[in-house]
Amino acid sequence: MSSLISSHHLSLSIGNKTLIENISFNVNKGDYLCILGPNGAGKSSLLKSLMGILPISKGELFFNDALISDYSQKQLAQLISYVPQASGRQLPFTVTEFVKMGRYPFHSALSDWQATDQQALENAFEITNTAQFRLRQMHTLSGGECQRVMIAAALCQQSPILLLDEPTSFLDPHHQVEVHRLIQTLNKQHQITIIEVSHDLNHASQHSQQILALKEGHTLWQGQADQFLEAKRLLALYDQDFVFINHPQTGAKIALPDEQQ
Amino acid sequence: MKPSFSLVLISIVSMLTLIFSPLLGMDAQVSAEIQHKIMSEIRIPRVLFAFVAGSGLALCGMVFQAMFHNPLATPFTLGVASGASLGAAIYVSLGLSFSFLGIDGTSFAAFSGALLAITIVYGISRFRQGFSTETLLLTGVAISFFFSSLILFTQYLSNVTDSFRILRWLMGELSIVGYRDLMQLLPFVTLCIAIIIWLSRELNLLMAGDDIAISRGVAVKQIRYILFFSTSMCVGAIVALCGPIGFIGMMVPHICRLIIGTDHRWLIPASLMFGGGFLVVCDTIARLIIAPAEIPVGVITTLLGGPFFLWLLIRSRSKTA
Repeated sequence: MSSLISSHHLSLSIGNKTLIENISFNVNKGDYLCILGPNGAGKSSLLKSLMGILPISKGELFFNDALISDYSQKQLAQLISYVPQASGRQLPFTVTEFVKMGRYPFHSALSDWQATDQQALENAFEITNTAQFRLRQMHTLSGGECQRVMIAAALCQQSPILLLDEPTSFLDPHHQVEVHRLIQTLNKQHQITIIEVSHDLNHASQHSQQILALKEGHTLWQGQADQFLEAKRLLALYDQDFVFINHPQTGAKIALPDEQQ
Repeated sequence: MKPSFSLVLISIVSMLTLIFSPLLGMDAQVSAEIQHKIMSEIRIPRVLFAFVAGSGLALCGMVFQAMFHNPLATPFTLGVASGASLGAAIYVSLGLSFSFLGIDGTSFAAFSGALLAITIVYGISRFRQGFSTETLLLTGVAISFFFSSLILFTQYLSNVTDSFRILRWLMGELSIVGYRDLMQLLPFVTLCIAIIIWLSRELNLLMAGDDIAISRGVAVKQIRYILFFSTSMCVGAIVALCGPIGFIGMMVPHICRLIIGTDHRWLIPASLMFGGGFLVVCDTIARLIIAPAEIPVGVITTLLGGPFFLWLLIRSRSKTA
């Protein structure tokens, strides 16, 4: 069976600076891939090239066996949606206005708002539990609320693939859990294929299916998520020693930074 | 307040300025016949011209502010207007004279200058890594200075008559007679308005930032080129006919955003109406303040615009701090 997303020796450079080099991976329908790595490893750049925000300089990228360049930006948006890293920039819209923009790829300049659009909007609000924010201004939302609305806006696009760039950074533990649960629900119940850039290695190893570990633009390791946590690998990836314990409730392996280093 | 209500209010006020401005400052001494002639051949075409030019300038400013997510980014601050001025100044001083499809060569020269300026400014800001609005604005300022000196140079090389023509025109004025200039301007501004209305959803998404716009399916690069092209055309045509009238593109759309919100389906008509009415009022002030002499309307708009620019600058600084 062919893959939903297939990357062959993907490279990306801006000017003469190489951001990522020679990255290959396959993602099938319903997968949950986490991209891990230290700051500046090229994780966000990889995500942006999947969304067509940054152009690929070498290699090939296929969606459903068609090259990314064969898709118009609107067609791509019907296939993939993207939740960017929290930028702190104030968005001058109400929540409804912002989420509604997710229907852009299904419209031309003259087409009207349809019942199917309204349905997509209501679904997005319901899944993310954000209907109560409808009339609020985006900039009045708290970090956790804002992240859920950003996800709602992406869901409004009804695309089978969802990209998330550090969705839980800058959130308190409660909201981290909340957003992570939401992502798992989307993956398990709604069969949405997830690609998430993250710094949360314990979450990634327990809840995603595959991990792609990047360092300085190169693939350091890729494989099954539950095989990921190993002292040597984490040292190579983050230049940091780790120790391991088991979660008292689930028994899952947890990595903690070595304090005696 | 509902956007529809605000829009109606703005439209009514600007229509009133359109109606009453020509009536102000009429000398009661002259005969009715002459008064009639002044009205039909000077005042009314002038007011209509001011309205169209003001609408166009406000709309182009609105587009730049949306594209670069910053109220300080306008065709004037980014050097597009000085580019247009340079094009027109060179055209005048070379003593060129041609027209194409009834459109005067000055417009084409100004359009080329405008396009050149935005290409340089945008090119430089993209060339630098980690492009920011600050880089863009500073590049715009630098290009404006550079082009201004080139204009002075052009002026220096011209003969006295041309030099004076360029000087008066650089101050921005609307002393037109008859409907010829209005007919020169109308096609460009109308086309630009039509394109911008067509792209109003894209403008909304551009306000959310490039990454979000692209991920929602907007072909940002192409849209940006279309917008650069059409605004350059509009600013070029206006600058060619009445000189660089500054700051309308900054003040009007920003005030409209405060009144009516950021949705471009409302913001576009509001900016058109407000921009038109605003330039009509400024022109009337310029005409009356030291009557019977007139001061260039560009002086009035810049006198209002300077402090407004500073206010925006201070406000945006205190917000980010």
